[in-house]
Amino acid sequence: MTRRFLPVLVVAFTSTALAQIGGDLRFCLRADPKTFDPLLVEDDNSEAVRYLTGGVLLRVNRVSQQFTPELAASWKVDEQGRRITFHLRHGVAFSDGTPFSADDVTYTMNRLMDPQLHSATADPFRSSSIPPRITQLSADTVSVTFGAPVSGLERLFDQVAILSAHSPRKLAAVLGPFQVAEYKPGIEVRLSRNPNYWKTDAGGRRLPYADQIHLQIQQNRDLELVRFRRGEIDLINSVDPEVFERLAHDAPSSVTDAGVSLESEMMWFNQAPSAPLPSYKKAWFASQAFRRAVSEGINRADLARIVFKGHAQPAAGPISPANRFWFNTTLRPHPFDVPSALRRLQEEGFQMRNGQLYDGGGHAVEFSILTNAGNRSRERMATMIQQDLTALGMRVNVVTLDFPSLLERMTQTFQYEACLLGLTNLDLDPGAQMNVWLSSAANHQWNPNQKSAATPWEAEIDRLMRRQASELRPEARKRLFDRVQQIVWEQEPFLYLVNKDSLMALSPQLQNTAPAAVAPQAYWNIEVLRKSSQLAGNR
Amino acid sequence: MPRWFTRMARQLGALGVTVLLGGALTATLVRTSPGFDTDERLLDPRLDAQSRAAIEAEHAADGNVARFYVRHVGALLRGDWGISPSLKAPIGTLIRSRLPVTAEIMAIGIAGGWVLAFTLALAAVLWPGWARVGGALSVTALSVPAAALAVLIFSTGGPIRAIIALILFPRLFDFLRNLLADAYAQPHIVTARAKGLNPALILIRHVLPVCAPQLLALAGVSASMAFGAAIPVETLCDLPGIGQLAWKAALARDLPVLVSLTMLITLLTQICNAVSDWAGAGLQKGHA
Repeated sequence: MTRRFLPVLVVAFTSTALAQIGGDLRFCLRADPKTFDPLLVEDDNSEAVRYLTGGVLLRVNRVSQQFTPELAASWKVDEQGRRITFHLRHGVAFSDGTPFSADDVTYTMNRLMDPQLHSATADPFRSSSIPPRITQLSADTVSVTFGAPVSGLERLFDQVAILSAHSPRKLAAVLGPFQVAEYKPGIEVRLSRNPNYWKTDAGGRRLPYADQIHLQIQQNRDLELVRFRRGEIDLINSVDPEVFERLAHDAPSSVTDAGVSLESEMMWFNQAPSAPLPSYKKAWFASQAFRRAVSEGINRADLARIVFKGHAQPAAGPISPANRFWFNTTLRPHPFDVPSALRRLQEEGFQMRNGQLYDGGGHAVEFSILTNAGNRSRERMATMIQQDLTALGMRVNVVTLDFPSLLERMTQTFQYEACLLGLTNLDLDPGAQMNVWLSSAANHQWNPNQKSAATPWEAEIDRLMRRQASELRPEARKRLFDRVQQIVWEQEPFLYLVNKDSLMALSPQLQNTAPAAVAPQAYWNIEVLRKSSQLAGNR
Repeated sequence: MPRWFTRMARQLGALGVTVLLGGALTATLVRTSPGFDTDERLLDPRLDAQSRAAIEAEHAADGNVARFYVRHVGALLRGDWGISPSLKAPIGTLIRSRLPVTAEIMAIGIAGGWVLAFTLALAAVLWPGWARVGGALSVTALSVPAAALAVLIFSTGGPIRAIIALILFPRLFDFLRNLLADAYAQPHIVTARAKGLNPALILIRHVLPVCAPQLLALAGVSASMAFGAAIPVETLCDLPGIGQLAWKAALARDLPVLVSLTMLITLLTQICNAVSDWAGAGLQKGHA
């Protein structure tokens, strides 16, 4: 009887002790995840759940920005970038105990590439009209062959969470550190630790440390801050500079500035020929000298200092310095230089009379900047730009609209003059930006869907982007994309303003934190995050 | 055919027409609102032409508002609320999961608002010194925007569920005070008070029956006032109720959700008003 009872006691004691190692972690999602299907993820909230629950073949380490093996113990890219072969890790099981094998990778890839699924994750895999072919070479080896060479092929697999081909629990069986335990719409997604997660720490203890994660649905960021201050949540993955400063004042140990992030704020002029704008305004916006003058008339350092409280830096181009490999280090932000801006405008035929700038046709230079309502930083930036450009004699009106209305003007009616928005690069590789830089693309915001490139420099960008997409040598790709960045810097179709810092709030109770500039900044190493045991036990 | 049956049939017909008109008006307003045809997903540079076309096709399906409305009402009659395009969830499930939250805060808000307003209104009528207290409290509560009140109570750790009561209180107080003042000025009630009858008996036997029809009408209106207050309260305090759903749907131009909610709320408001009308009419008949 005693012998039978003892193991039960040991198990009970061990599980209690383990529960106190990590405790429960709590943080917020901005809204309900739209899907729990990892292949259909399109929104940030679903992405958070996918990151926390999904197992991937390889992962981009958020700090080193290098590929690291996960479910694939190794991989090899061959056939000049047309094929990638994965050798899978042994002894891995899904959260329900179903063994992981090459069947699961084949099943996932076949499902992902199903055209009827319309998965945003799948689209970057379709680099040619020939769909990728998935071949199961053995029980632990799978290859994916593409119709044409794909540059930066490995990065595509960072977002493909492997599904189980055989588990009766279907999508609920996962390979990531946590599994979805409960979903209360509008309230919380509760994740519990995956008991079969394959990773262990240096001491051989099975990860993750935390027992549960409570992802509380909290749309209101002010209330998220209130909850953090009360100790009801353990981290805020991204805080705005004002909140950061307030927290830094009250509890300096609770905030972290992880340095410049991949996010940038930018402004552009509407150059779409079909835009319902007077022809003289279209001529201004199409003029490189006009754009450069506006760029030189904006004091980026002040934007960083005042709007972002010093937690940003003037931006030079489309790639942030946080992107270590792809950033063009030769580029510098355009300086704040009003005399140079006025000289450029004068050379272009503009004239200053009584503090007001006029073009060659006698039209007063006046335009509006559109931005999304409710974003305090952007509203302030627009106001500061308005102020800066008075020195050039330009009258600027700031218009704020809710996002759907702004989107309609930006993508359908083209009824706007200039737009101020942000860009979040989730993917480090410029291949993910093809639909921004190709002149024929819908996301080529300043003049989308061009039948043929409207300007020689856009034609050159088209050529460079296509060449880098089929080039496999990273250094050669880098040279090509550096030239793209150089052209964008010279022509300024987008006026890059600032690169924001990655700011977060972390409870001092959290251990093993390693803030990164790349999303998910605060919890990218979720497996090892834990609360200090004493406090975790008290909660 | 009995008269009550004809009357009820007429009222049900009016109810149905009002609900249908409310839904149609909402559908038209949402369809013509700026940004209806847009989709944030189209900004995703990863999407290829096929995926973009698929997203655009989703929107095209709701492009013709008349066709959408007929289809939606037909589905509703079969018990199918449809799928929310913005939240990617069945609308019936969204409403079912959120209705209890809204019902709870509305019930607490209506009950709390009525108790507070009625108590202070009665005190103001019976003891003139209280009129200033009640008036000052009412003006103060009325002058603070509902959203500010919600944030203030939430951030100070106050009872969130009491917010609607505080929002309703000033809107009920003035009406109740005037109503009770008129009732207490009735000659037979003045006589009863002069003779020293028990004040509670006077209230229950003489004052309330006189005011009952108006009180019931006000109770019906309170439900729609409480729902109006629930939208900012739920949104700001992140309470997952119908009000928050309506707000999110409005921001996302979610046509099926907004039309369904409008029809549901119109129906519930009409039912509340009809019940208070019937009860008021019944009381008046009994009183006569």
